[in-house]
Amino acid sequence: MSKQLNILVVDDDAANAESLAELFELENHRVIVAYDGQQAIEAFSMNKVDVGFFDVMMPNKNGVDSFMEIRATNPDARIYFMTGYSADDLLDRAVKEGALGVFSKPVDLSRLLQAVEKEAA
Amino acid sequence: MEKRISDLDLLLKILEELPTSIYVKDSDLRFVFSNAQHNRLVGKTEDQILGLSDAELWPAEQASEFLKNDGLIIETGELLVKEEVVTNENGLQTPIMTRKARIFDSAGRPYLIGTNIDLSNLRKRENQYKALTETVPVGVAQIDETDGITFANPLFNAYCGGDGTEMDQSRMLEKLKQANSVFPGQACKFETVVQGLGNQPRTVIVISSGWLDLGDLTRSATVSLIDISQMTELQRINEEVSRLNRELADNVSRLAEAKDELVKRGRMEQLGQLTATVAHELRNPLGAVRTSAFLLERKLKDKGLNVETQLERINKGILRCDNIITQLLDFSRSKQLSCSSSDIDVWLTGIVEEEAKKLPQNVAIELLLGLDGKMVPFDPARLERAVINMISNAVEAMVSGGDQLLTSGKEPPKLIISTFEKNDCCSIRIVDNGPGIPAEVLGRIREPLFTTKSFGTGLGIPAIEQIAVQHGGRLDIETEIGGGSTFTIWLPMQQPNSDRLEKEQAA
Repeated sequence: MSKQLNILVVDDDAANAESLAELFELENHRVIVAYDGQQAIEAFSMNKVDVGFFDVMMPNKNGVDSFMEIRATNPDARIYFMTGYSADDLLDRAVKEGALGVFSKPVDLSRLLQAVEKEAA
Repeated sequence: MEKRISDLDLLLKILEELPTSIYVKDSDLRFVFSNAQHNRLVGKTEDQILGLSDAELWPAEQASEFLKNDGLIIETGELLVKEEVVTNENGLQTPIMTRKARIFDSAGRPYLIGTNIDLSNLRKRENQYKALTETVPVGVAQIDETDGITFANPLFNAYCGGDGTEMDQSRMLEKLKQANSVFPGQACKFETVVQGLGNQPRTVIVISSGWLDLGDLTRSATVSLIDISQMTELQRINEEVSRLNRELADNVSRLAEAKDELVKRGRMEQLGQLTATVAHELRNPLGAVRTSAFLLERKLKDKGLNVETQLERINKGILRCDNIITQLLDFSRSKQLSCSSSDIDVWLTGIVEEEAKKLPQNVAIELLLGLDGKMVPFDPARLERAVINMISNAVEAMVSGGDQLLTSGKEPPKLIISTFEKNDCCSIRIVDNGPGIPAEVLGRIREPLFTTKSFGTGLGIPAIEQIAVQHGGRLDIETEIGGGSTFTIWLPMQQPNSDRLEKEQAA
């Protein structure tokens, strides 16, 4: 039986963030939504986050920069990225720094749910 | 029957028919016989001639010369052969070859027999020949097998240099013999450079007739020298001008290419930025649509609303949009490659396995790996796009939208994907057994935005080619109507140094 996760979804595109949140909730996980990189850092510091799904290009702070800050205080943070671009230099850096993987948008949902299941196992 | 004619009249008639002038003088040097030819030469009738001596026929000086010679012949029997010019009563001069000999009659009385051969025609030909050899722009010489050069026209002598003496001539002859071992005995034609004493070197074409049997005891050859120095000089100038023209044309076209390249690069950069923005802006809402559709599917499941078809359409639409965006990104991305050396076979196996899952069930894939673990430098992300494009192109060629077979025969659709090394290049080849590409399509298939599909960006093949070219390689397309198509990407086994340098600098 898989456990319930606290999932952080970060995307400045509200429709994206909220539909994903709904999907995870349907899978019986708790979801926190943030709409930019700065909010993501705050959400991480205030909540116990099991896994995060971060957009990359966002106002205030991009996903990779906020991931770096979170990693500095929280070395075990488990983060996936979601991006409209295919892998670029920014993401190469994130993956080198320990990001779990990159989903390209529009995200393949069965793969996304597989990743969540792995975290919940 | 008599063996030999003894009829005097008949013999005389024979003599009349000869084309040679014949006369006979007795020991007093008076004419006792003159045939028709001789009569014509002298310009008198037979009756006028017979009984006369030269003193009565010719001017005094000429006559005494004739008489003196004739007397000597009657006396000694010495044969005389001589070229002369005779002038008849009408003042007509005729060059003749005279032959005079002594004969005896049956009573032992000596006679002088003279024959004259008219040399007019021969002289005329000789003069023509001389004029010819003196006016042709060719050095001409007659070479005798034993005596060397027996005739040379002025131009030949000029080529020999010096004063055109026998020594100058034989020096030339020796040079020509050195230049060609069969010269002059065998008919030959060759080019060589000769330099007569005090002359500039000249390039000549030498032509020899080879030994000709002229009926004489020795054989001789006619040799011509044609000066082509000016022609070779002209040719050289001509070639130089052509070379300069070619270089100019090359430079002009290179400039034009460079200009086109700059314009294209500028446009590509703009296109790249635009595409990146559009891709990002479109993929976000596409993501929301996909997730929402997924949620709808979940929520409506088992509700008996019969919306599966509509949801399927939404998902297919999203996939198509995403593919178009990917193709635009593939084509417009012209940034520096990020190459690393790895085993293409291992890398390709991973991609093909992943792609195989997405293909229609009835498409078979055969993977033949032949690089033997060799490391090849390439940009995995970019080359992956090229390979995926090649596979989806091939599959689309074999299977239409409704999984309907387009293969030519009864064969099931099959892709053969292979790798091999050839001429310091490694290649990734994809062979399909689809219907092949018609010539009019093949001619334009590499043009961006050219497509035969009702929906398609026309950027797939240009992107494959662009990625191959960015790697310093190329894309080959072979096709046969009814026999399928072969797409081959060639990549150099080593990246050009410049790229490595740039990479090192970047690092």
